[in-house]
Amino acid sequence: MTIEGNAKSIGRRAAVKTGAAFLGGAVTAGALASMRVARADSAKPSRLTMLYATSEADSDAIKGALPDFKSAFGIDLTVDTMPYSALQQKAFAELASGSSYYDIMIVDTPWMPALTDKILPITDMILDPSVSDTTQLDLSDFIPKVFFDTAVYKKGQSYLHWPGQQVMEAAAIKKGGFEIYGLPIQANVATLAYRADMFSDATEQKAFKAKTGKSLSAPITWDDFTAVAEFFTRPRKRLWGTTMMAGAGDWATDDFKTLLASFGGDGHLVNDAFEPVFDSPQGVQALSYYVDLIAKKRVTPPGTTSASWDTAATAFGSGLTAMSINYHSETLNPMVKGSIAYAMVPKRLQYGPHFGTWMLSVNSFSKNKEWAYRAIEWFTSKPVQVKALATQLHPTRRSVYQVATQDADLSRRFANFYDVLGKSLEVGVGRPRLTNYADVDRAIWVAVNNAARRAEMPDVALKKAAMQVKTALARAGYKPA
Amino acid sequence: MTSVTEFKMATVAPALRDTFSRPRGVEARARRLGWGLLAPALTLLLLMTVLPTIYLVYFAFRHENLLGSGSHFVGFLNFERVLTDPTVWWDSLSTVQFVVIAVALELGLGLLLALMLSKRLPETNLVTALFILPLGVAPVVSALVFRVLLDPAYGWVDFYLQSWGLIDQPIDFFGDPVWAWVAVIGLDVWQWTPFCALILLAGLQGVPVEPKEAAMLDGASNLRLFWHIVLPLLRPFLAIALVLRSIEAFKTFASIFVLTGGGPGTSTEVINLDLYRVALQDFDIGAASALGICFLLVLAVVMQQLLNVLGRNTDILED
Repeated sequence: MTIEGNAKSIGRRAAVKTGAAFLGGAVTAGALASMRVARADSAKPSRLTMLYATSEADSDAIKGALPDFKSAFGIDLTVDTMPYSALQQKAFAELASGSSYYDIMIVDTPWMPALTDKILPITDMILDPSVSDTTQLDLSDFIPKVFFDTAVYKKGQSYLHWPGQQVMEAAAIKKGGFEIYGLPIQANVATLAYRADMFSDATEQKAFKAKTGKSLSAPITWDDFTAVAEFFTRPRKRLWGTTMMAGAGDWATDDFKTLLASFGGDGHLVNDAFEPVFDSPQGVQALSYYVDLIAKKRVTPPGTTSASWDTAATAFGSGLTAMSINYHSETLNPMVKGSIAYAMVPKRLQYGPHFGTWMLSVNSFSKNKEWAYRAIEWFTSKPVQVKALATQLHPTRRSVYQVATQDADLSRRFANFYDVLGKSLEVGVGRPRLTNYADVDRAIWVAVNNAARRAEMPDVALKKAAMQVKTALARAGYKPA
Repeated sequence: MTSVTEFKMATVAPALRDTFSRPRGVEARARRLGWGLLAPALTLLLLMTVLPTIYLVYFAFRHENLLGSGSHFVGFLNFERVLTDPTVWWDSLSTVQFVVIAVALELGLGLLLALMLSKRLPETNLVTALFILPLGVAPVVSALVFRVLLDPAYGWVDFYLQSWGLIDQPIDFFGDPVWAWVAVIGLDVWQWTPFCALILLAGLQGVPVEPKEAAMLDGASNLRLFWHIVLPLLRPFLAIALVLRSIEAFKTFASIFVLTGGGPGTSTEVINLDLYRVALQDFDIGAASALGICFLLVLAVVMQQLLNVLGRNTDILED
């Protein structure tokens, strides 16, 4: 018994020792491994990969900057571009599968609420002087609305907007419980393009004065807009006042939310307490005004109830309309002799153009996180954005707009586009932060499309959409406060 | 006794082995060879069809959050969500409506086309080749072309209809539900009628001459000849075209997605657009799997009926 007991106790001691040795070994190996990971992370890679959009985020600007990036960092950057329809699926599939293939990913604002577990917060890297180049980064230079709407989220509560003052300090954002998830690269906002040649034509000016008693100029209010649109509507000459995008798609929601915000409503459509706020008196007024333009006053070309961003741009570019509200950069076909100028989308009580911005983010599965961060810091920096103005990048920094508006060559090529774009971004209204925004978006565009086709009255259409949105929000687990 | 038994066993057993075990061995070898030959196809089927289906069933009973935590078993909740959604029922009806109208038109027009092409004329080969062209165009491309052609502001269709004085105002093909369906079905008919025509042309070329000649001698008119002789002999080919086209038509996605996007409103939404939206826009994999399974079950019933039709009509080929 004693011998057995000793044997057992020796066995136990040996087992404890062996266990301790294993544990110690495992801890040491883990520490070494983590050191190796850390060192590997900070080790300079020979190549980085980026997933990017196509024309929606001006891929030419990124591609044009690649040689400079190689000179600055000595790293090859491979950029895969995809059209919007395929990009979201690609990005989500990469992130869902935990793939480390892409170090840098472009993210559109409606996607971000679903991605806060997969996109790496970069706040700590911004605050780390060994990683971040603060002079290059200069957070305070970003347009505040653009920066906070695009990049600042609260992990675990991705529906929340930053509640504080829009002071762009990483430490304050971190202290407020929020994180920075990327840096804005391309800021799209609705602007009003108009035919400068027609607006400055002496005969047109005289005729407009005679008809309305006012001088012909870019409209500031929706009433001005209606008057100008009616004036230029001449179907026999195949000319209409303006484009609108009432087709079944995201564009119809964007048209509506711009109007809703300018009529005094909440252009976010759903507030942070998960209540639909578009089915309001302002919403009904805004949609009724929209429907009147299309169905009653008929100031839009045929096919408006199936129009999208692309078809609206084509209609304006083909000389079918005198004005167009769009996200896209507008150009006239060579056959159309004329010129374009820009103005802010009109207002009733306030400006509220719809906007949405692309940002560059770091894939949380990347093996080169720090270098990916350095790359996005570089691509969104002022010098790179200034250079990209040549391909009509929509910058995200105030200083770049100052450069753009003072550049004679850019003014010659793009008229007052940058001036208007910059001003519009300062007052733009983004989207609600919902993981199922696609459902909300769809319910609203169906309502707008139905109303524009006169299949439903505006108030009925909005009420129906609000019910659908409530159901969709409940299904996604959003409970009203 | 023992020795006798042992003797008997010693002499009879090899004989029995010779009699019975050889064929059994041959049978087993043949069976093994059969399974061996089938193995690649079965493995492929298992990997590409059976396992994904099992995976689909698994997901249908779960809430799956691909991009975060919180995935869990939800029982029949996804099925309840799908089956209580009026949109799904409405879109299912739209799908059936689309399949019935499009396939019926394609079979009818395909038969007419086949009858025209069955005349052995010098131009027939060239015309046949031209008619096959739409089959070679990707549905997305043809939908994009149709979208431009039918655009009321600058499309050719409205332009010529107005130029010829046939209409006063341009038709808004994508802003009116009826015209949107005309466009969607028109595109499908344009693309797939040649497919039906080819199958029926093959059938027409196989119709024997003798019964036709006999009927003509008896004074049968062309219509009676067609109705009583050609059409019955074409039944197997019509059944094949019906089954193949129906299967494909139920799967239509790209052309509708590009041409109308389900609009105006939700009037041209079909079940495949719902599946796309739920799976790849909402990323609600559980609900999408449940919807997929429901669609699969309904299709299985429909296809069984269609295969019965095919089976009944192809008896004629065996005779």
